[in-house]
Amino acid sequence: MASSFAGKRLSKELLKMHEHLPPGITIVKSDALDEWQMDIRVLDDNPLYKDQTYRLKFAFSDKYPIEPPEVQFIELPSTSDTPRPIPMHPHIYSNGIICLDLLGQSGWSPVQTVESVCMSLQSMLTANTRDERPPGNSEFVAYNRRRIRDINFVYEDDNV
Amino acid sequence: MDLKEFLALEPNYDAEGQVDLRSLELVSDYDSHLMCAICHCAFVQPVRLQCDHVFCEKCLRSAITSFRSADPDGFPCPSCRTPTSHLSMSVPRLLINMCDEIQVRCPLATEGCEEVVPRGHVQSHVDKYCGYQLVPCPDESCDKMTRKKDLQTGKRCRHDYWRCSRCEEDVMEQDYEEHDKELCPSLETVCIDCGTVVLQRALKTHIEACPEVLSSCAASKYGCQVKIRRAEITTHEQQCPLVAIGPYFEAQNTRLNSLELTTRHLQQRNEIFEDGLANIRSTLVESSRIDSRRNDTAPAADAEESADRSANVFSSNATTYLLSLHESLREEVNQMSHALTDLDARASMSIMNECLRIKEDMAHTNAAVNSVRMQVQWLMNPRLHGTRTGAMRTNGTSTPGEARSQFTPSSTPGPSSAAGSSLGPLRPRRPSDTGREGTKL
Repeated sequence: MASSFAGKRLSKELLKMHEHLPPGITIVKSDALDEWQMDIRVLDDNPLYKDQTYRLKFAFSDKYPIEPPEVQFIELPSTSDTPRPIPMHPHIYSNGIICLDLLGQSGWSPVQTVESVCMSLQSMLTANTRDERPPGNSEFVAYNRRRIRDINFVYEDDNV
Repeated sequence: MDLKEFLALEPNYDAEGQVDLRSLELVSDYDSHLMCAICHCAFVQPVRLQCDHVFCEKCLRSAITSFRSADPDGFPCPSCRTPTSHLSMSVPRLLINMCDEIQVRCPLATEGCEEVVPRGHVQSHVDKYCGYQLVPCPDESCDKMTRKKDLQTGKRCRHDYWRCSRCEEDVMEQDYEEHDKELCPSLETVCIDCGTVVLQRALKTHIEACPEVLSSCAASKYGCQVKIRRAEITTHEQQCPLVAIGPYFEAQNTRLNSLELTTRHLQQRNEIFEDGLANIRSTLVESSRIDSRRNDTAPAADAEESADRSANVFSSNATTYLLSLHESLREEVNQMSHALTDLDARASMSIMNECLRIKEDMAHTNAAVNSVRMQVQWLMNPRLHGTRTGAMRTNGTSTPGEARSQFTPSSTPGPSSAAGSSLGPLRPRRPSDTGREGTKL
C-alpha cells in the first residue's frame, strides 16, 4: 500500500505533521499506513472535557483521500497509564462511533486531512454544552454490528 | 467543457515508461499554493474548475467518479463545495512553469543516477539521457536488462559472473568495478584520524566511535568552542561550566518560547481592543459635533481630548435648562388657575344680578297679563251668551260641535297671547263686530 495513491498521500501528511501540529493534537501511532491513532484535547475550559485527552482511531482504505477514513474514538481503561475515555457528546455513541457529516460519504471532501478532521472534532467538542449521549445510544451500542462506513447516519441536528 | 466530456476523455497518464511525477524525490521546496489538495503533490497536469480551484487531472477524475456513484447531479468543488458543471483544461502557463521548475532527483537514483533535473525535464532525462535507464541486453540469448551507459563500452553482454579475488564472491561483470572499489566486504582502508586499518564498509561506524576523531563539546550551542578528541571530551564535559548550566538554558529557552507565544496572542487581542476603542471614540466625536451645531453654548469640540468634556458640559447645561423651563411653566400654570377662579366668581355674580332683574320683570309681566285676562273674561262673558243665541237663530248650517269649539279657548285659562291669537281666526266674523271691538280696545 505504501506505493499506492493513499500511501503516498498519507506519508506526505505524516511528514507535514511531524514538522508542525496544531495545539492539542498529537500523533500516537502512525507506523502502519492503514491505521493511525491520534490524541486530541479540548483547549478551552469547557467543563465537560477539561483535563481530558481522547484517543481517535483512523482507518484508511486504499481509496483515501477520495473516500473518507473510518474515524472513531477508542477507550483505554481509567486504570491504565494513559486513560482515554469516550467524550460525552450528543453525536458520539458510547462505543466511540461518531455521527458527523464530514466523515460520511456525502460530507467528505478529498481536500480534508487527518489534521483537519482532528481539528473539526476538537471544535465539535468545544462547541458542545450538552452532557448527553445520542438518543437510542444503548440500543445502537448493543445491536450495531455494521462497519462504520455502512451505517446510514441522518445528519439532522445542526446545532451542535 | 462540462464534466461528462471530461470523463469521456481518454486519460493519458499511467502509460508504459511514464515517470510517476508524484513519487519523485524533491530536492527543492516548492510553494504550498502549488500543492494539489487531493494528492498533496505539486500539480500534475492541472485543470481548473469554475470556482478557480485547481487540481491534478487524475485526482479530480477520481474524485468526480467516486462522487458520481454516490450522487449523479452536480459535483461540488472539493475545496469550496461550489456545485460545478464545467471545467477548463487550460490553466495559466505560469502555474505549469512553476510546477515544472521544481528540482527533483532522477527516479533512477536507486540504480545510481545522481542527476538533479527540473521536474518538467525528468521525462526526457529518463527517456534519452539517463545512463542508468535499463534496456534489454544486446546479446539476444541473454534475457537480463543492462544499464544504458554500459552499452557505450561496446555492445556486448556484461552479465557474466566474475570472481572477486579478495572475497571470493561471484559478481556480475557490470557491477564488478563498483564492487572492486567500494562494496567488497574485504576491502580495507585506513582511518585518517587514528591510523588503524578497518574494513571499508565498517568505516562509517568506526568514525562515529573513533577515539581520535575531533568532536565538539555538548554545550557547543551555548558557546563552548572546545573541540578535542573524543577520548577526552567526557573529562572536558565534566568540567565545562556551560554543560552544567545547559539544562537551565534549555528551561529558559522553552520559557521564552511560551512567553513569546502569549505575547503574540496578547498583542493580537490588544489590537482588537484598540480598534474597538478607536471606533467608540470616533462615534463620540461625531455625536458631540452634532450637539455643538445644535447648541451654541456647547464648545466646539474638534480635539479628541476635549470631546468627552464638552459632551459632559453640554449634558449638564441641558438638564439645568430643562429644569428652569419646567419651573417657569409651573408658575405660569398657577397664575392661570388663579385668574380662572377670579373670572368664574365674577361671572357667576353678574349672572345672579341679571337673573334677579329678569325675575322681577317676569313677575311684573305676569301680574299685568293676569289683570288683562281678568278684564277680557269679564268683557267676553255677557257677549258670548248673546252671540250663541243669535248664531243659532241666524246661521242654521253651523253644527253644535262647531259652536262648542268656539268657546274652548276662552274657557281654558292660558297665556294671554295664546288666547288672543286663537280667538282671532276661529271666531265667525260679522260686519257689526268690527265697530264694537274697536271701541273696547
